[in-house]
Amino acid sequence: MSSKSTFGQAPHGISRRSLLATGAATVASATFLRGAQAQAKTKLQFMYPVGVSGDINKLVAGMIGKFNAAHPSIEVEAIYAGNYDNTEQKVMTAIGVGDPPSTFLPINSALQAFIGLDGLADVTAKAKADDIYKDFIPGFLETCVSDGKLYGLPFQPSTPVLYLNKTAMKEAGIAKAPETWTELMDVAKALTVREKGELKRWGLTIGGGWHDWVFECYCRQNELVPWTKDKVLFDNPAALDALEFWVKMEQAGVMPKASTWEGSANDFMAGRTAMLYHSTGSLTNLRKSSSFEVDVAFMPKNKTFGACQGGGPIMIAKKQSDAAIEASWTFARWMTSTEVQSQWGRDTGYLAVRKSSWETPEMKAYLQEVPQAKVALDQSAYAGAFLQVPGYSKVREYLKSALDRTLAGEIKPDAALKEANAASNREIQRLLRRRG
Amino acid sequence: MVVGATLQARMREAGLAYLLLLPSLLFLAAFTYWPILRSLWFSFHDVVLGDSKIIWLGLENYQRLWEDRLFWKAFGNTAFYTIITIPVAITCALLMAVALDSKLRGMAIYRSAFFYPVMIPSVAAGMVWVFLYSASYGPINQGLRFIGMPDTAWLYDSTWALPAIMVMSVWKYSGYFMLILLAALKLVPSDLYEAARLDGVSAFDRLIHITLPLISPTLYFVVIIGLLHSYQIFDYVYVMTHGGPADATNVLTFYIYQNGFQYQDIGYASTLANVLLLFVGGLIAVIATVFGRRVHYLGR
Repeated sequence: MSSKSTFGQAPHGISRRSLLATGAATVASATFLRGAQAQAKTKLQFMYPVGVSGDINKLVAGMIGKFNAAHPSIEVEAIYAGNYDNTEQKVMTAIGVGDPPSTFLPINSALQAFIGLDGLADVTAKAKADDIYKDFIPGFLETCVSDGKLYGLPFQPSTPVLYLNKTAMKEAGIAKAPETWTELMDVAKALTVREKGELKRWGLTIGGGWHDWVFECYCRQNELVPWTKDKVLFDNPAALDALEFWVKMEQAGVMPKASTWEGSANDFMAGRTAMLYHSTGSLTNLRKSSSFEVDVAFMPKNKTFGACQGGGPIMIAKKQSDAAIEASWTFARWMTSTEVQSQWGRDTGYLAVRKSSWETPEMKAYLQEVPQAKVALDQSAYAGAFLQVPGYSKVREYLKSALDRTLAGEIKPDAALKEANAASNREIQRLLRRRG
Repeated sequence: MVVGATLQARMREAGLAYLLLLPSLLFLAAFTYWPILRSLWFSFHDVVLGDSKIIWLGLENYQRLWEDRLFWKAFGNTAFYTIITIPVAITCALLMAVALDSKLRGMAIYRSAFFYPVMIPSVAAGMVWVFLYSASYGPINQGLRFIGMPDTAWLYDSTWALPAIMVMSVWKYSGYFMLILLAALKLVPSDLYEAARLDGVSAFDRLIHITLPLISPTLYFVVIIGLLHSYQIFDYVYVMTHGGPADATNVLTFYIYQNGFQYQDIGYASTLANVLLLFVGGLIAVIATVFGRRVHYLGR
């Protein structure tokens, strides 16, 4: 018999029918097994960004590994998606095609954008049945609330803080961190170093890319929350006063016109800027990677202290099975548990979201050793959510463009803010029209 | 009978041609023509990424574009980039090609060296240039410091950021254009040069009167390709400056990306894309009528 003719024929002793039956049974049992496995293991995706300076990826991978080991019925796959913007884009695109990641970590400002897409699972009932409302720090939880409903668990809240090169301060004979805008200007002048007209060290750098976030803090320091749910207030005199102060610092030659987020952190660590506005989430990296002593202070006040929340919550996609939502909740709940938050806070500098995390022995010991870590927590008493308006990402660009062009000397502060205000409100109106 | 047979043969030939074209036509239709039509349709609507709700707007997006300061800025940046980089890159490429079109030893090494930037992935090249341009530790500033020039924060300075990207882009693309022009130079009959040399024609005149006319079809091709490249710059902007500072490096493709994905405003992004398509199409038509007619095809 040639090999060709055996094709399609059963081997000796076994009928074709029985062979087919066996084959079908094998396929069926394989399918069944796979089904059973799927029942046993719920697969989740967790899409997250790296929004600060430091080796966050490694930390997240470690946490996911621990979670998976402790939860045999759930398998979380961590997907690093770039920065906050990239993450948001990927999640939105995925929602658009109806296949969102189970859980994701956007910036808190994106809340209204995701609600506009009807993309978020409402976790109010789950949270009420749990200890969320009792143990979470209210100001952080507030960033996930819209119309009284909870849409996620805060995971890595932060505020900008003022980082100081203490060694440089000692050399310049400065005893304490600046507490007011006026002092900030004086200290920045004293810390700026020029040799033969050539700049060696800036007195102050405002971390670029998120300088609009710092700008909102400046507005709040002037007793202005520069937005409401349906409009922005960039043309308010209090905002103008803040921007004019920035221009004054730039013109005094103590602060660069522009910088980048990672670049400014690197500049600080390399001693090329003596003071830096950056996220509290960068604390551990800045502290450990600098060759000098790093101090952290409240952002200086003007009329009052003021800050706004950056960082993000873990949100759960609405469009997925109940089992996946349940598993996602288990995951979000674990990531924001007392111990995990205590560890995450110490590893990064992000603020632990639970009151109980701050009471753990490890955290207490850490605060003894690194009292700077508590500065942002204390400051968050003066903090609110950041720019939670519809279309916030475009509004941020309008504002950043206004700030950049003003500092570059291309436009006067009042004209820039008026223009950004009009453009932003047009965008917000467009998005509200879609809902109405 | 004979006429019928030729017609049949011609029909069969046409049928075969369409059959062979079919696969690429299908791909073009699915990934180019259909998206173009769709983006045309989107441009008259309010479309948000991730949302199935679509609202008719009429010409509102186009009116917005007309009043959009940033669109005009991105448009101006793109035009500036094109007008400067294409002639500079092509001139560099031509000079390199002429210089390397000799039969000396080791020419292959030089050719590879000049072609090398083309082979580097653009994101990697962008990152390398970010380092080169760094204000404090970048080799470019270190060199300038050595000759007593002040530091410039190339990529953070709204005056210099776009020219900085243009310099890099000339470095990146000249080698590619050079390779194409070099191939064209090889096809110029050497007896023309010999005859000219016997008549005492100078090297410069030989370049202008023999080389340029005979490689003009290739030059024409290079101009069109360069134009398309220059309207597609996105990667360098994305990697090196993200459109900043103060939108000094925001170009149309990047602005389309920002609107479509960063701001989820697909309707407006489509409007921008349509305007870009119209503009580039128009520009190519102008070049084809003005420049294309002067192209000299050898042997025709």
